[in-house]
Amino acid sequence: MSDDYENKTGYQAQSSETISSGGSGRSGTASDIDYVRPAENAEQDLYHGHSFITKWVFCQDAKVIGVQYFLLATFTGVIGLILSWLMRLQLGFPGAAGFMTAEHYYQFVTMHGMIMVVYFLTALFLGGFGNYLIPLMVGARDMVFPYLNMVSFWMFFIAVGVLLASFFVPGGPTGAGWTLYPPQTILEGTPGSGWGILLMCISLILFVAGFTMGGLNYLITILQARTRGMTLMRMPLTVWGIFTATVLAMLAFPALLVGALMMTLDKVLATSFFMPTILKAGEVLEYGGGSPILFQHLFWFFGHPEVYIVALPAFGIVSDLISVHSRKNIFGYRMMVWAIVVIGALSFFVWAHHMYVSGMNPWFGFFFATTTLIIAIPTAMKVYNWILTLWRGNIRLNVVMLWCLGFIVTFVNGGITGIFLGNVTVDVPLSDTYFVVAHFHMVMGIAPLMVIMGAVYHWFPLVSGRFLNETLGKWHFWITFLGAYSIYFPMHYLGFIGVPRRYFEMYDSPYVTSAVGMNEFISMAAFIVGAAQFILIYNIIKTLKTGKPAGHNPWQANSLEWLTPSVPPEHGNWGEKLPVVHRWPYDFSVPGAKEDFITQTTPPSEVIETEVEKT
Amino acid sequence: MSDTNEKEQTSTHKIGIYLWIWGLLFVLSFFSYMVDWYQFQGMLRWSLILFFMFLKAGLIMAFFMHLYWERYALVNVLLWPMTAIACFIFLMVAEFEYTVFTRLFYFVVGGQ
Amino acid sequence: MSDPKIEGFELKPGFKGMAKDTGSDQTMFKGVHWGKAMMWIFLLSDTFIFSCFLISYMKGRGSTLIDWPNPSEVFGLHVGGVDVPLLLIAIMTFVLITSSGTMALAVKYGYEKNRKMCGWLILATAIGGLTFVGMQAFEWSKLISEGVRPWENPFGAPQFGSFFFMITGFHGTHVTFGVIFLFIYAYKTFKGHYDEGKRGWFTTMKGDYVEIEILGLYWHFVDLVWVFIFAFFYLW
Repeated sequence: MSDDYENKTGYQAQSSETISSGGSGRSGTASDIDYVRPAENAEQDLYHGHSFITKWVFCQDAKVIGVQYFLLATFTGVIGLILSWLMRLQLGFPGAAGFMTAEHYYQFVTMHGMIMVVYFLTALFLGGFGNYLIPLMVGARDMVFPYLNMVSFWMFFIAVGVLLASFFVPGGPTGAGWTLYPPQTILEGTPGSGWGILLMCISLILFVAGFTMGGLNYLITILQARTRGMTLMRMPLTVWGIFTATVLAMLAFPALLVGALMMTLDKVLATSFFMPTILKAGEVLEYGGGSPILFQHLFWFFGHPEVYIVALPAFGIVSDLISVHSRKNIFGYRMMVWAIVVIGALSFFVWAHHMYVSGMNPWFGFFFATTTLIIAIPTAMKVYNWILTLWRGNIRLNVVMLWCLGFIVTFVNGGITGIFLGNVTVDVPLSDTYFVVAHFHMVMGIAPLMVIMGAVYHWFPLVSGRFLNETLGKWHFWITFLGAYSIYFPMHYLGFIGVPRRYFEMYDSPYVTSAVGMNEFISMAAFIVGAAQFILIYNIIKTLKTGKPAGHNPWQANSLEWLTPSVPPEHGNWGEKLPVVHRWPYDFSVPGAKEDFITQTTPPSEVIETEVEKT
Repeated sequence: MSDTNEKEQTSTHKIGIYLWIWGLLFVLSFFSYMVDWYQFQGMLRWSLILFFMFLKAGLIMAFFMHLYWERYALVNVLLWPMTAIACFIFLMVAEFEYTVFTRLFYFVVGGQ
Repeated sequence: MSDPKIEGFELKPGFKGMAKDTGSDQTMFKGVHWGKAMMWIFLLSDTFIFSCFLISYMKGRGSTLIDWPNPSEVFGLHVGGVDVPLLLIAIMTFVLITSSGTMALAVKYGYEKNRKMCGWLILATAIGGLTFVGMQAFEWSKLISEGVRPWENPFGAPQFGSFFFMITGFHGTHVTFGVIFLFIYAYKTFKGHYDEGKRGWFTTMKGDYVEIEILGLYWHFVDLVWVFIFAFFYLW
């Protein structure tokens, strides 16, 4: 049996030959070159909800779960945003908020960091976009284990509940910084060292348990439930990004789980996993002999892959958006896939570059600086490929494209400062200054956020059937983009002059004079940028009912999620028959084609006249 | 997902192989217990422990968990991530040696 | 298990086959049930959890300056006037390996659709697991009565107690969950759910004897972890 994928020649040469001469013994009809081998998987039986509760609350439809994840993560993200406002209020105008004590400030810093990294970005990209897009993009009816998927969301819900509950317990939430370094995390004197840290650890454990259920679903759906003709190398890069990020999460979260569990035991049972012998006011505490640096290793063994758990889906999504909106195939698709995979693999060998000043074995600096700088290679490849995709493309300068361009600029900016910080000798003076804050906000805060925004404007017509308002979108983009630069660009300078991060107030330090004006400016920008995000929320609420109807495939995209029989797609996604895939999703502007896009389901016989390449 | 006609294809293995592996596991466990019984020390103890451990783990994974009969696509997916663990182990060995060094240096040699 | 037959797709052996499987459409693990693939990936994730535990234990034990107690004495039993080192642990190991063997045979008889044999073997496995948990409870209470606590340890470094209770506790939890599921699956097997393809409680998938293999994977994994704990915690 000649397998469809083994033909290395292009469709044109091979197919015209087949049709004229009768080819390899089979009848030379159009169905011959359109042959895709039969389905391996049996049809999936789905549980359809009957009542409001089973349809919208405890729902097993991945699309609804995706929206649920999206909404809850956004809600948590807004809380994180408000916390950042309070922090900036204190930093820009010390004492302006009367209730703000140093303890409150540390608690807000901690909760802002943890919420944004884990409960907002991770949940949004993997839980939100992953759930919604994976089954649609690979051509499955749903996730492979819908019930488990539902439980995954509700575990996340409980985790968020426990996290937010820590605002209302005696002592308030933990104020140890989002890295939760022992020993100070659980010692008296740190805000929230009682209930706060306990709830934080429990919440993280719940999150990991819930995420594991979701992550298994994403992985098995991508690996084992693709539709006919959908090879791994025909998947949109969005799926590749989410897939690799999920693999990282499955292997990195265990370290966080172990760290959180041991921390809980240290707190509750007074074990000394992480607690060294400590003298407090002349008295030896009950702890002794533990290893604080072990926690740092465990935390960053999770923490560094976590950076890529956030970044890789963003890389994938932005590739698709750029390709669709510049009407060109993504430049170097295979290189992009391998870059994602290599970045993912390398991310497990770089974690201690967060610990250059921690007092670890000094030889580690050499190892980790080397591996860290190696990651710059695949990352730079990706940036070149995005730019080369844009090059001579038929660019639609709409809101989605604006966000993508914003992402590239921001990401390059944050990436370059990463090269500073990856080198031990440069990092030592810069660590724990605002330079670090600027770096990671640029590269894993603002840049992925820009992709999320672009993705919302791109996929909103699919989810709701209506376009978001473009004018509001442009206001939203420009305020956010310029505002974000106003916030984080000056922070690089603050870092260079040595302003330390996580300080409640600078008091009369010598560098204060030049930093005061800048801090006020940054704070003003932060208020404006934060407020601008509500434009999006207003836009969504408004256009849900009154927006311009989008209809089928409004962006003329190729990938499967736009090819469902009904928009928005229904439970089961594909109606009677699953789609059959014949090509990659990037056949844009193919010479000779009637339109400037050829969808993934278009059979080769329909595009024989064009110069489409075999993918 | 396996469909109906595939299930019939799933041949099972002869019972002998399971009994063999079972027996081997008992013997190897007995040997690793003997390591403690005879109180071997030093590198000999270490290498014997690790040898029996990996042999037992390998037998369980290969035959009881059927990895020996699985296709390479699955086997490779399962084994490659272990490199990250190996890296973690090697670095942590270096790390605890350094921790002991600093503790001895500052608290025992330099301090008091 | 052995290679399945797939319509329109020729399975090649070895690394060639791996490349071809990976590059093909629909599935990457040819003929592998969704649930089985999920269990494997879950076990991979769980491996990382236990690895992190054991690495932490290595780091903790390696960097403490107080002497680590000699496990061979601490876990020894006094039987008939003779001190036998590690006796209980040795018996626990043998019990767990026995139950692993019965599980492997249960999987085999499951695929042969031998309902009775499969069910009895699962039940035997469950009883083996229960014995293991019971002996662990005995071991715990013995140590506790000797004064070992998670936060202190009369024999030496306090981390000994911490790591011991945490790691064996986490492993024991796995065993306990495994035993619960073994009993459930034994019930389902005897009821014939896998013969008639009855749907499970929380899934729309039809029952199939592959579920016994999935459970078997989990059980063997628990045994596998014990091999490592035995080597690193009790023999080191």
